[in-house]
Amino acid sequence: MASPRLIMKMKVASLRSELGDVSVIEFRHPKRPELPPFEAGAHVDVHLPTGKIRQYSLMGDPADLSRYIVGVKLEAKGRGGSAWLHDNLRVGDEVPVSAPRNHFRLSPDGAKHLLIAGGIGVTPMIAMAHALKAQGKAFTLHYFSRSRSLAPMARELEAELPAGSVVFHFDDEPSTSVDMTELLKVVEEGTHLYYCGPPGFMAWIRAESAHWPTQNVHFEAFQPETDRDFVPEAFSVRLRSSGREFEVPADASALSILRTAGVLLFSSCENGVCGSCECGILSGEPIHRDAVLSPEARTKRFIPCVSRAKGQIVLDL
Amino acid sequence: MGIQVQGIMVQVWSGELLHIHIAPSASYEMEELTEARLVAGKGIEGDRYFLGTGTYSPKPDVRDITLIEAEVLEQLALGEPKIPGIKLNLSPADHRRNLTTRGVPVNHLIGKRFRVGETILRGARLNFPCKYIEELLGMPRLFEGLLNRSGLNCSIESGGIIRPGDRILPLED
Repeated sequence: MASPRLIMKMKVASLRSELGDVSVIEFRHPKRPELPPFEAGAHVDVHLPTGKIRQYSLMGDPADLSRYIVGVKLEAKGRGGSAWLHDNLRVGDEVPVSAPRNHFRLSPDGAKHLLIAGGIGVTPMIAMAHALKAQGKAFTLHYFSRSRSLAPMARELEAELPAGSVVFHFDDEPSTSVDMTELLKVVEEGTHLYYCGPPGFMAWIRAESAHWPTQNVHFEAFQPETDRDFVPEAFSVRLRSSGREFEVPADASALSILRTAGVLLFSSCENGVCGSCECGILSGEPIHRDAVLSPEARTKRFIPCVSRAKGQIVLDL
Repeated sequence: MGIQVQGIMVQVWSGELLHIHIAPSASYEMEELTEARLVAGKGIEGDRYFLGTGTYSPKPDVRDITLIEAEVLEQLALGEPKIPGIKLNLSPADHRRNLTTRGVPVNHLIGKRFRVGETILRGARLNFPCKYIEELLGMPRLFEGLLNRSGLNCSIESGGIIRPGDRILPLED
């Protein structure tokens, strides 16, 4: 089972608007001068008063544990979390925020790091760039945005990172464009690739990096890529410990069925992104629909909030 | 505190309440109170087990209120006992028991009544540490470090207000 995380009542210490409809929120804790540590690429859960829980990458310097900083892009057509934060959040508000979790770590043995960000996908990369700079590691951040006027934190990055380590690509400035096929063509030994951005961007980079060794490629999605033509079907789940069996109907998730049956599983986003409900899978034919598990992890782990199966699977619960 | 038994003065234990903590819900960090209201048969007002929002093991249980000894936290911070030698700084805000006490022989109070300030508690069962807290706090081996000294789950027989500094005293059954 994925680990639970301590939830802290934090205060909004500051709020500022960034380009591209992004609100930068600084959280501090009234009684903990030093927050639980995090590594670059980590995210926190922000608990909204509406009952929703949203994951946001920490974009501050991991060396500064006095605060957590997140960047929230207003997604007018989203599930409502960003709209609530943009409309309602004020300095001084108390917001429950979880201790950080990381599914998007920098590889400690990477000789060189290639970071590719699309729009608000730059947030975890900012923390990564700070960490790599502090460690004296070689890296380049390629930051893609529709326009300079819509690119959050671009100016800050330019000012804070070593010259040449951040390269901007704006759709409306042809001189800044780059041939992605060319950029990713040669896989140098020891180079690790990281990418994060909206779904179309993720699909693009994944396709262009298909020839890279999977252990050198790291990514984080805002939402799992969903196949619109996917038709969920019923399947069954057996628990290793007790042998109990459950039918998961086509219109319900394995997580919801297990929870109803009293099986204790942590959960948070229930959208296949956060990994809270992750568990082991021992046998069967899973249909993975999450955005958390690496190809390697998919051989033995399962995300019951969104993933399904054919026939029966046995979970290590 | 001395009492006369068969003509000899003997010491009986008496303790002190150091801290009161509650958590509004499972996984939420604990909040320290300067005053708390205990409700008989129920719990501490505002606490997760009072509100029914805690992380429960499925079996029926009594856990109106939980106690742990400050002495245990001090030994844990020293890495005592040397075997298994688990050294952890577990602060009263993080151990997730409600009351931190000093001078109370917590492990000997199963089935016994005792007074905390104006309230009366009865020891129900020894608290058993859970892996959950180890993961929640990011403290590997805490589970092992708390084995056999993880505190006491109690029922509240008579409610009232408690405050840090309150005396804790044994009572007749």
